[in-house]
Amino acid sequence: MNKLRVGLRGLLVITLLATSSVVVLGQNEAQQFPVASKTLKNGMKVLVETDHSIPNIALYIFYKIGSRNEHPGTTGLSHFFEHMMFNGAKKYGPGDLDKAMEANGASNNAYTTENVTVYQDWFPRSALDLIFDIEADRIQYLSFDPKKIASEREVVASERRTSVDANNGGILDEQLKATSFIAHPYQWPVIGWMSDIEHWTIDDLKHHFEMGYAPNNATMVVVGDVTPEEIFQLCEKYIEPIPQHAPPPPVTTVEPEQMGERRLIVHKPAELPLLMIGYHVPQTNSPDFYALNVLRTVLVQGESSRMYQRLVDQDQIALDVSASQAPAFDPTLTVFAAQPKQGVDPQKCEAAMYDELDKVKKTPISDVELEKAKNIRLVEFYHQMRTINGRGNTIGTYEVFFGDYHKLFDAAKNYAAVSKEDVQRVAQKYFGANNRTVATLIPDNAEPGSAKQ
Amino acid sequence: MNGKIKSLRFFVSSLLLLGSAWVSSAQTLKLPAHEKIVLKNGLTLLLMEKHGVPIVDFAAIVKGGSVADPTGQEGLASVTAGLLRKGTTKRSAQQFAADLDFIGAEFGADASADYSAISSEFLAKDVDKGLDLFSDALLHPAFAQAEVDKLLAQEIDGIKAAKDEAQSVALSYYYGYLFSKHPYGRPGGGDELSLTRIKRDAIAKFYETNYAPGNTILAIAGEFNSEQMRARIEQALGSWTAKPGSLPAVPAPMPVKGRKLLLVDKPDSTQTFFVFGNVGTAENDPDRVAIRVVNTIFGGRFTSQLNEALRVESGLTYGAAAFFDSRKEPGAFAIYSYTKNESTVQAIDLAVQVLGKLHQDGVTAEQLASAKSYIKGQFPPSIETSEQLAKRIAADEFYGLGDDEINKLEERIDAVTPEIAKQVIARHFPEDNLVFMLIGKAAEIGAGVKKYAAQQDSRKISEPGFWPGAK
Repeated sequence: MNKLRVGLRGLLVITLLATSSVVVLGQNEAQQFPVASKTLKNGMKVLVETDHSIPNIALYIFYKIGSRNEHPGTTGLSHFFEHMMFNGAKKYGPGDLDKAMEANGASNNAYTTENVTVYQDWFPRSALDLIFDIEADRIQYLSFDPKKIASEREVVASERRTSVDANNGGILDEQLKATSFIAHPYQWPVIGWMSDIEHWTIDDLKHHFEMGYAPNNATMVVVGDVTPEEIFQLCEKYIEPIPQHAPPPPVTTVEPEQMGERRLIVHKPAELPLLMIGYHVPQTNSPDFYALNVLRTVLVQGESSRMYQRLVDQDQIALDVSASQAPAFDPTLTVFAAQPKQGVDPQKCEAAMYDELDKVKKTPISDVELEKAKNIRLVEFYHQMRTINGRGNTIGTYEVFFGDYHKLFDAAKNYAAVSKEDVQRVAQKYFGANNRTVATLIPDNAEPGSAKQ
Repeated sequence: MNGKIKSLRFFVSSLLLLGSAWVSSAQTLKLPAHEKIVLKNGLTLLLMEKHGVPIVDFAAIVKGGSVADPTGQEGLASVTAGLLRKGTTKRSAQQFAADLDFIGAEFGADASADYSAISSEFLAKDVDKGLDLFSDALLHPAFAQAEVDKLLAQEIDGIKAAKDEAQSVALSYYYGYLFSKHPYGRPGGGDELSLTRIKRDAIAKFYETNYAPGNTILAIAGEFNSEQMRARIEQALGSWTAKPGSLPAVPAPMPVKGRKLLLVDKPDSTQTFFVFGNVGTAENDPDRVAIRVVNTIFGGRFTSQLNEALRVESGLTYGAAAFFDSRKEPGAFAIYSYTKNESTVQAIDLAVQVLGKLHQDGVTAEQLASAKSYIKGQFPPSIETSEQLAKRIAADEFYGLGDDEINKLEERIDAVTPEIAKQVIARHFPEDNLVFMLIGKAAEIGAGVKKYAAQQDSRKISEPGFWPGAK
């Protein structure tokens, strides 16, 4: 996993845990992964889970600041800031952080979403003190070297060219969000618009640091070859002395109800078209989360799913179908995507997807489908929990997005409560025409210079 | 869009050789206990109990990968593997999917250059159902004409979709250009033309020739009892009696002499994706551990010389790296990065300079110590799960690498000195003989990159295929 990211730090994982992260399990599984919890005097919450099976540790710090805390003109600032967190502080100057970590067998990464900025360290036990020293240094004393900022701006521009310009899915996803949301900050891309990347200032960065990087705005998760006691002691020494301050102001903008279908088209050179359909749905900690998750599973997960069977297997109009819903503090989108085959009008895929949605609205799903969805969740739970890294991310995600890591172990109960009727109800409630935005990429392969619109 | 996984796919092959085992005490790396059994029908069975997470992982290797594809039918091994789950003599493709999904199980099958790989993962409580599905796909695929047609059509469009994302096809072009007519130059998944030539009969024949117990290594790791698992496997696979045909001999590819450059024109590109290098090393190369240590310093981590120069110090790119994609015979060595159109020459110049500097200066004792510590520290999570372990021991068995590959890794890492590093650089890292492959906007970058090689080749990305043989 981490080996694969050489030179690639800072990539966005926009739909992290997109269709996963929700599990069915009972008391046994909760006892299998006992989590110790402590809130430091400065307000940072620390969660620790012990696992001695490998002599390694995964350490996550979740800061509750992301692109939803930004404003027009400085979009992408959270993500850029994430990059700057590797570019020097007081004790560990520019370049020192990575060199010290790698020389001690450690690696790191980070990701930014609309909602959070998350820092990850993976290291052998022997590097434990060093990691705390580094984390405490950069939380308190980040430096803002104008030369580093100029150079890192270019790095992020390159990242954007790769993840958006050279990626049709990236382009369409960005356009879909910009059209689905007209008021709420989820409308701009996490990586930021190119012109904003080029123009934010050192003062914007300093302001962002002061706003978001308060210990009381962070959650630390440590999993692996450690005991809670030793982590709490290290926190006392390194983290607790950091003073707390005001967290980011609340995001008060509420996206108004969508009152009619919106459509957008992207014309660009491409071999194949692309289709994405976004529906407004509630935030992650909403009671409908579980029923929506079951519905997505039934519709797109696995080759036996309804939309795969219909579009890929039976009608043979698409190469793939998918659906995702990223963890979110505010009402968000469920995005359905289809990769039409070459020459297939995306509207054919669209019609088939609506037809499948209509079926689940009209008739409840079968008992077998409901049970299948729950079984898939159980395997996914173990899939995530089988590594110290997966546990660090999953425990933290539950703590931050559901407000309590125990929700990870309550999921069994919450799933058992989902009925076929619930699934039908959420399909009817959220997946209507007035609530959707349809984005289509149409290949335009005319030679440059020839007349075209 | 999981951007991370997409961009990283490119590096996957390079990193297979970085897999490993874990440390139970400070100094000893130990692969968990496992046993090897050769069944009467010739199937090699590897069993590794791993308790804690109630999951079982199957990883099978069938000798005969894309090197066994007939010329002009590139992708045959891959398509054959892909069809295993698309209907058997007792289940339709739809029934197979329904049974598999109902227990939340995963099933994957594909071909690499050297072998075909079939894997499955399911909950320990579902072991009977999981094994039934796995053995049904492996032993009794039906290759129904309708499913063959469906999959081939999807694969062809899949290649076109991949060409919309330069990064995902860069290696296919590079390997085709580097290895030329050698089987390692073939696109494993085929191309837009070769796939149209594949017929059902050829698929059935490929299956009959290669899928046989004597050609198969099956590794199982996870939550089970070895005795019981062995009995289950003997019952499920013991009656498999197919006899393998002979595999085509694969000669060692020769390094390219001199320099050549292929420019793949993608007119809407805002960045140039470039790869350059030459023929690298085989999986069992005696220098493999020293190579890994040196390449960690050169291009295998965030603070590598390449990433420092191209990203950290100059901001030319989001990432720069180098890797050895080792195979049974020598595979590729590649330096890889991307940069905006205007800085294409600047970035390639810099990468070539970093390579030259490696030859001139070698590596310092301090750099060696850091790289050794890094590899050792990052190593345990690479064999943390039963899936990683099953795939790892199956591959080591295929390549004839014993448990010492892991158990003696630390010792071998520690043995690398600056002098050994110097020899390894001279022997394995190309210097003047370089093969370049660029995907980008030819109108903007074409003139500038002429200086890298006397031999210049070009093609359009919309043109079918990846390699000279497909023209």
